[in-house]
Amino acid sequence: MAATIDARFVRELERICGSSGIVREPLELLTYECDALPHLRAVPPVVVLPDSAAQVQQVVRLCSRESVPFVARGHGTGLSGGAVPVPGGVVIGLSRLNRVIDVDIPNRRVTVEPGVTNLEITRQVAPFGFYYAPDPSSQQVCSIGGNVAENSGGAHCLKYGFTVHHVIAVDAVMPDGELVHLESALTDAPGPDLVSLLVGSEGTLAIVTKVVVRILRKPESVRTLLAAFDTIRGAASAVSEIIAAGIIPAAVEMMDALSIRAAEAAVHPGFPAAEAVLIVELDGNGAEVAELFPIVEEICRRTGATSIEIAADEQQRARIWKGRKAAFAAMGRVSPNYYVQDGVVPRTKLPEVLERIRALEARCGLRIANVFHAGDGNLHPLICYDEKVPGEADRAVEASGEILLYCLEAGGSITGEHGVGADKSEFMPKMFTDEDLDLMLRVRAAIDPGHLCNPGKVFPTPRLCGEVPGPYRQHPAEKAGLAERY
Amino acid sequence: MTLSTDALLQSSFLAGAIARSGKDADRIDGVAPRLVVEPRTPEEVASILAAASREGLTVVFRGGGTKRGWGRIPAGVDLLISMRGLARVIAHEHADLTATFEAGATLDEVNAALGRHRQWLPLDASGDGSTIGGAIATNDSGPLRHRFGTPRDLLIGIRLATTDGRLVKAGGNVVKNVAGYDLGKMMTGSFGTLAAIVSCTFKLLPMPAASHTVSAALPDKESVTRALVALNDSQLEPLAVELQAQAGRAPYRLLARFATSPAAAVAQAAQAQGLIGGGEIITGDQEAAIWRRYQGRAAASAGTVVRMNWLPAALPGVLALFETLAQAHGSVELVARAALGAGLIRIDGSIDWQASVIERLRAADVVRHVTIVDAPPDVKRQVDVWGALGAGGVISSAIKRALDPAGLLNAGRGPV
Ligand SMILES: Cc1cc2nc3c(=O)[nH]c(=O)nc-3n(C[C@H](O)[C@H](O)[C@H](O)COP(=O)(O)OP(=O)(O)OC[C@H]3O[C@@H](n4cnc5c(N)ncnc54)[C@H](O)[C@@H]3O)c2cc1C
Repeated sequence: MAATIDARFVRELERICGSSGIVREPLELLTYECDALPHLRAVPPVVVLPDSAAQVQQVVRLCSRESVPFVARGHGTGLSGGAVPVPGGVVIGLSRLNRVIDVDIPNRRVTVEPGVTNLEITRQVAPFGFYYAPDPSSQQVCSIGGNVAENSGGAHCLKYGFTVHHVIAVDAVMPDGELVHLESALTDAPGPDLVSLLVGSEGTLAIVTKVVVRILRKPESVRTLLAAFDTIRGAASAVSEIIAAGIIPAAVEMMDALSIRAAEAAVHPGFPAAEAVLIVELDGNGAEVAELFPIVEEICRRTGATSIEIAADEQQRARIWKGRKAAFAAMGRVSPNYYVQDGVVPRTKLPEVLERIRALEARCGLRIANVFHAGDGNLHPLICYDEKVPGEADRAVEASGEILLYCLEAGGSITGEHGVGADKSEFMPKMFTDEDLDLMLRVRAAIDPGHLCNPGKVFPTPRLCGEVPGPYRQHPAEKAGLAERY
Repeated sequence: MTLSTDALLQSSFLAGAIARSGKDADRIDGVAPRLVVEPRTPEEVASILAAASREGLTVVFRGGGTKRGWGRIPAGVDLLISMRGLARVIAHEHADLTATFEAGATLDEVNAALGRHRQWLPLDASGDGSTIGGAIATNDSGPLRHRFGTPRDLLIGIRLATTDGRLVKAGGNVVKNVAGYDLGKMMTGSFGTLAAIVSCTFKLLPMPAASHTVSAALPDKESVTRALVALNDSQLEPLAVELQAQAGRAPYRLLARFATSPAAAVAQAAQAQGLIGGGEIITGDQEAAIWRRYQGRAAASAGTVVRMNWLPAALPGVLALFETLAQAHGSVELVARAALGAGLIRIDGSIDWQASVIERLRAADVVRHVTIVDAPPDVKRQVDVWGALGAGGVISSAIKRALDPAGLLNAGRGPV
């Protein structure tokens, strides 16, 4: 069905993007074989690097006409294999679409191209006292287009929400090559909220070529504490009591003994050697923070904190956060290899699920560090292994899959922020019924009837096997309707 | 439309749901539905939809009935499905700050239940008795939108009944979750054209410990702009910032509500009063009463209510436009989320004049997405309810065909 990429097709791509906008060298192509999840790889036959939305549109039109699949790629920091090339497909790299189009302080919005990094948006508006709220740990390097595709979150999304809560509008090239402007429900645009459908669709519905985000006033006051606990349960009960007191912190992060040790070895944040540390940050109006912060401190003491450090200044605060944000990379200090998992449980189930992870650790003989967004129950177990020891890598993947089952049994989700991608599509049927998935696939087929836009991601492959699912073949009107868009 | 109403009433597909023929009170823009059914379970909703598909019956969903004026005039309605039979609180996980409700529960019912644990679902909609499902389907919101956004911003999971008679879910029960398409958020604004919303799961918030509202009368649009700029540029964090006015009749009223910990609420309200340059600070029962009365304002109208949006900094231009709408034999009232650039305009006067005001708003550069929320059918015959949908219309139509291939749901009424 899908055409192969031949010399003529490549010439067409070159005509669109210019000779500097096309990658064919085998060595250069290796750069695009995976994202930040290293165990899923595929060398693409060709990569294009368009430098305008019009070029993206022409490339997609060409692919659509010739039934060649395509995958959008931002900065390749994804952790679920979302940007992994698909067989016989074109990778459309968006790094050259990196212009900041408009900084509109009076209207509190910024318009950027998708290749602009998350942090760049904050850099643009910081001089005016504003910032862009979603703050993934990868914010210095990940692209806003990737954030939109993954609905990325960050440590502060407990209070401020995820990417979807901050995207006002997008321009997108649809799988048929139509370039459209879509506005979210935030603008009162009538009709279904297509922006919230695109956000988090992991590049399977469209290629985003422009993003309008809202920016927030930098909070007047920020106060951060680091509390150490003898047990994870103690730390978890502190979190519960803070919430029960009616306080929604900007962030509540937890790290266990192994991840504390790794962070210490890597960036020396001065964390106490404890079973668990909790980072709690309150921000907002000065009077409010001043009133609530002592309550948080009191709760930490009451629930058994063995030590509490309150950041006295911005420098101390930055040091605490450095310890937390470096936690993934720091695992390299305590283990040759590690696998990052991303699952979610209802906050109250944290202690129970962590105990199951402890038992799993003993059973599978691999160390598992836990770093997580405790406020919203988002776990990031880091499974340590040594790829040189035969069988360990497989055991790590197995253990990491088992943790997802614990999350589901606790009423949670298989991913809180890293996405399903190519990595976890097989777990989708464990979270959703066939009927649930079928509905999502119907929506997908309505938008991408040719199944060319990042195929093989999110949904389990056996269902997709080259064929568009059921109802669509019965409704040729569908095709006619979409064809009108040319 | 082969079956007679009597035959419909006898149909087994009603599966025990309460059914009766349509009455005057059920009319939608003067059109009486042939049959009104009130399913009591999600399964009943699904089987009714399957049967409607089989028989080719057009369907309109009704929540609290507060938004019956929305939508185009239907050509005919076979089934009016009242969702009020599905009004249970399915779960309130107070320690996790989440809850699941059936879609026919009203915001008031839901908040009465959540209040027992001093939590709330901070949504308000135009009109008392608005249901959760209705608020999502119409993307309705009120003053609380300033802080908490629209219904989709708190929605974390949804259960739908589709036209093929299935019950399906998207999202989940946890506040953070990116598995699969977020079909719940997509349903926002879908206006009952894609599927029935049978239940929803929301992220909740703790109820604020204290609340104070600054209420100020401001003589002209210049003083309004000055006050708003001062508020917006400050580090205050209001729950709501509302602006209300009757063009040419009364001064502007600015309401700024601060609800947080006790000392901070007092401090912020006092500071806001300074920035606005006057006004009184109201709290307690009096404050609650003011907001209740305020909420009712835009909803209660014999004329037209439109919803519209503008860039926040364009407010002076919007107010200038608004003031030009005042005239002798009609009245216009503005109720706005002033800091966001969103609001409602109530238009009372002759039918032609109502229609002309809508057209003037649509022609103006400063406002966008002028949508009719309620209007006499005669106004709807003159101007389209939804206005231009843009590129999204084509994509939404493709989704509509996928989910409702026979075009039965809210046939002819909805945006798609
Ligand atoms: C050290 C580290 C820490 C991280 N921390 C966090 C964190 O705290 N929170 C979090 O949420 N994530 C985190 N991530 C994951 C990752 O950074 C995010 O998923 C990010 O959004 C990916 O952006 P990217 O530009 O690298 O996208 P890619 O990896 O290039 O692509 C990701 C997906 O987006 C699609 N895509 C990219 N651009 C577009 C576009 N313009 N239009 C349509 N689809 C597109 C791709 O097809 C792919 O499916 C972390 C990753 C690393 C390596």
